Amino acid sequence: MSSATWRGVFTYNKYAQITARAVRQSLNETERVAAEKRGTTALKYQKWENGVGGQQVLLIPEVDKTAA
Amino acid sequence: MLATRSVARLAAQQSHQLGAAPKHARNMATLREIELRLKSVKNIEKITKSMKMIASTKLAKAQRAMVAGKEYGVANSELFQHTPSETPTKNKLFVVISSDKGLCGGIHSSVSKATRRAIADPETVDPDSSIMVIGDKSKGQLSRLLSNNLALTFNQIGRDIPTFADAAGVADLIIQSGVEYDTIAIVYNKFVSAISYESAIVEYEMEDDVTKDLAEFSLANAIYAALVEGHACEQSARYVPSSSEFTCLMFRNAMDNASKNAKDMIDRLTMQYNRGRQAAITNELVDIITDYWYPSVVDPLIVRQ
Repeated sequence: MSSATWRGVFTYNKYAQITARAVRQSLNETERVAAEKRGTTALKYQKWENGVGGQQVLLIPEVDKTAA
Repeated sequence: MLATRSVARLAAQQSHQLGAAPKHARNMATLREIELRLKSVKNIEKITKSMKMIASTKLAKAQRAMVAGKEYGVANSELFQHTPSETPTKNKLFVVISSDKGLCGGIHSSVSKATRRAIADPETVDPDSSIMVIGDKSKGQLSRLLSNNLALTFNQIGRDIPTFADAAGVADLIIQSGVEYDTIAIVYNKFVSAISYESAIVEYEMEDDVTKDLAEFSLANAIYAALVEGHACEQSARYVPSSSEFTCLMFRNAMDNASKNAKDMIDRLTMQYNRGRQAAITNELVDIITDYWYPSVVDPLIVRQ
């Protein structure tokens, strides 16, 4: 199992976020709630071309809460 | 004779009241207006006071987070101190750190001005350099003058304490955007003290052949440190404990001023209202008294009216 194939797909930051999420989900209840707060992001971004902004896109699209 | 006198008095009362009704109505209207204004200003004072309270608790929390987040920034910059760049480069990517919310004094304009100043200097910076902005307020300010330089903008950061997830997301988007740059200049507000801040620009040069992971991670680190420090500056800008020496500082406390102004207005309006009320009462008394004895003294004059 090669340990470096993920580098072609996503950045180190994404790798760190995935592992962090795994660690958070494995914590006990109270610690997990506190850690989840530190790991949330509602980031939205917008690409600009020639002085005009594009569509605003959510970085992490909202998961439908009923489906899970 | 008695009959004419009573008729005259009746006519006098009516004419006097007809003549006086507009004056009375005017007094009443002014009093009513003042009363309404007083009520609304009192409500405003309540709102600004509570905002000040909320902002002060948020400030303490943000300061704690900033102290923790600064460790990341310090560790990051230590690495770069050992590897100084050879030649200063002109093609810079500016990452401007601010937020979406207002009511914090000059926080957003401070970073916007610093960015404009840096780009205007042709010695060190290519005027076509790309700018990426975090925060709607600075985005609005910069898009007015430098909209052609904007490449990416981000928002929804700064409602709460910024997380490393926010910074990692921003860093990834910057890397994947494909914008060409030699160095990254992060423009943010440096926390000088609980009552003052100043804009600062930190530059990072990345070499992404062997140390790609490290370059990506340290970008996220640097952005995180700047986000947290900027957040703490913003919280302190919303609340400053009032003390006698802060009047000579260039940095103001928005909510404290608003509460003070509201209180001044309330005092002034209350005084005005009371004076108006007393004047109205005095006028009514005068009218009643003159209605009572004036006709009996100067009968023929009243009849002619």
